[in-house]
Amino acid sequence: MISLVIVLPLVVGLTTLALRNRLVNRVALIGSSLLFMCIAVLQWLGIDWTWLPDWLVMYFKFDGIGLFFFSIMAIVLVGVAFYSLFYFKEHSLKARQESVYIAEILAFVVAMAGVILATNLALLWVFIEATTLTSALLIYFEKKKSSLEATWKYIYICSVGIALAFVGIIMLSIGSESIGSLFLADLYGHASEINPVWLKLSFAFLFVGLGTKIGVAPIHAWLPDAHSEAPSPVSALLSGTLLNSAFLGLLRVQEILIRANLQTFSNVILILTGFLSLLVSAVYMLRVKNYKRMLAYSSVENMGIMFIGIGLGQPGLFAAMLQTLAHSLSKTSLFLTSGNILHDYGTKKIDEVRGLLKKDPVTGWIWIASFLSIVGIPPFPIFFSKFFIIRAFWLDGESWLAIVFFLFIVIVTFGMGSAVFKMAFGESGGDSVKSARPSVYAYTPQIALLIILVIVGLNMPQQVHELLDRAAAFLSNNPGIWARAAGK
Amino acid sequence: MTDILIILLGTTMLYVSSVSRIEAYVKMLAVQGFLLFFLVLVGVRGMSWLNISFLVFETLIVKGIVIPYFLLTVIRRNETPREIEPYISQFYSLLVASAIFVFGFVAAFWAARNGSAIRPLYFGVSIVMIIMSLFLIVNRKRIITHILCYMMLENGIFLLSLSVANELPMLVNIGVLLDLFVAIYLFAIFFNKINDIYDGSHVDVLTELKD
Repeated sequence: MISLVIVLPLVVGLTTLALRNRLVNRVALIGSSLLFMCIAVLQWLGIDWTWLPDWLVMYFKFDGIGLFFFSIMAIVLVGVAFYSLFYFKEHSLKARQESVYIAEILAFVVAMAGVILATNLALLWVFIEATTLTSALLIYFEKKKSSLEATWKYIYICSVGIALAFVGIIMLSIGSESIGSLFLADLYGHASEINPVWLKLSFAFLFVGLGTKIGVAPIHAWLPDAHSEAPSPVSALLSGTLLNSAFLGLLRVQEILIRANLQTFSNVILILTGFLSLLVSAVYMLRVKNYKRMLAYSSVENMGIMFIGIGLGQPGLFAAMLQTLAHSLSKTSLFLTSGNILHDYGTKKIDEVRGLLKKDPVTGWIWIASFLSIVGIPPFPIFFSKFFIIRAFWLDGESWLAIVFFLFIVIVTFGMGSAVFKMAFGESGGDSVKSARPSVYAYTPQIALLIILVIVGLNMPQQVHELLDRAAAFLSNNPGIWARAAGK
Repeated sequence: MTDILIILLGTTMLYVSSVSRIEAYVKMLAVQGFLLFFLVLVGVRGMSWLNISFLVFETLIVKGIVIPYFLLTVIRRNETPREIEPYISQFYSLLVASAIFVFGFVAAFWAARNGSAIRPLYFGVSIVMIIMSLFLIVNRKRIITHILCYMMLENGIFLLSLSVANELPMLVNIGVLLDLFVAIYLFAIFFNKINDIYDGSHVDVLTELKD
């Protein structure tokens, strides 16, 4: 199964590059995304097999939290794959360009799957760096001047950040000399033998490195640029899956600290950066002029919320996992819809988009619904994850932090809402003619994602609940800062 | 012997922080590659043959020859001006570099006293190389110097990894080298593009995207 995830997409990607045939391209893209979905479903059912040699098998494994992140990736990928068909048509790409696009997407997806499945910390690092390298070409896909700037910033900032993460890994291996291995299972099993000073130091470096990739403040500089300049399906993939996979890397490191009983150290860092991200996104949300950049700042905010959830420990874990799932799906829907808006109006400026509901009603309603989903209006699941986090603060007796948290999300909601509603309502200016219905692929992925979100929010299916529980069980030995202080 | 090599590595960083010609950077990169190669040769005891040959390939061929040569051709192709144009003058640059050295050694002795089995000189110089590369990155205007300093950062990290007794699995080593190689290659591609599209290759030209 793992061989299918790691090897097959690469082979398919190379085949599309070699053949450059439109039909093959479409089959390759849709087929690979459905294959990922099938593998996720088979894993839920507990069916697995492998034909990789033994020495390779030990480097990759599906575990509870890995399966959760893999499932999110599969869902997002299916949406992005179908939407890409619209993107191809809209930009009237040549067969050769389509092949390049698909090969790059597949390589990017393999790198992310590698991050999710890797059992060795150093190998995880290799794949995270690989995600940077494979996605850089995608961000530059439209070959504009501004996308060149975005790509340069992205690849350079992330490479330096990830290099620092490697320093962290080396420091971890200095501190864990008696263990003599960087396999996560060994590190978890012997976490108490790791020298605490080196472990803390290595966490600091890994945090900076992976945090750069996750895009939390203050190391989010590349994120708005790259997300706004990439083609819309790629932005969706970046926000919906890339940030998650780096986040999973950080969770794997956090688990080492929890096992070594140093979680207070990391919890404080996580909560501080979480609040800082909320602050930064709240400030920028009020002044941002470009709607794709607005969505990017919303990603910074959501990553901050996930950090806070993890930092809260046991009481916030389920919320953080629910937030991860709901953010990925909502943000994918938003970014794909932003592609429709770009198609309708030909601009990324908020001020130049008016009367979306009149010009293109379906896109307009999807845009509003996805906005309601991302800011957490019931019945969408982000409402519950934010509610659980506020409740966790309250139960810990930190009601003032709950109020600060609430204030930040209200500001973000206000900033984003005023832009979204300005764009949706009003008169569309010069040509109030309805734009030609683009394509069924321009709508269906978002509608499907929103339906999934409503189902999860209204009446969470047992299977999804189990998946979330299994993921949240991963870090569950973390009682949180305040519970620890109070001796609960 | 090892000590001399490491001190020489530290000296290359001091030299880099005080010169103003880009070719000197590339030469120092090649020198660092060769110094790392000798370090690997001196300290091979107890390593597997596979690992030794890989390390020799990585240091001598990739870090010592291929990457410096590749970057040199990129520089020549783009007819980059020779001067590196720092934000602060060479003198202060050197002063900061010395301060970083002091910090690096203090950190190394602190770490050694903390009961860890690290070699202070190894550890200190690699920390110095890492911090100094970061300092040079923020202190230089030209994009090409950013690429060169990224390579020095990677060399510093490589030295740090040599100071650790644990060997990484071969698969990981290959992955790390492949990443590095592809990164440099992509840097060069995008550097060429920036040179073709923008006038000049300062980071200052990259300020179109902001809020």
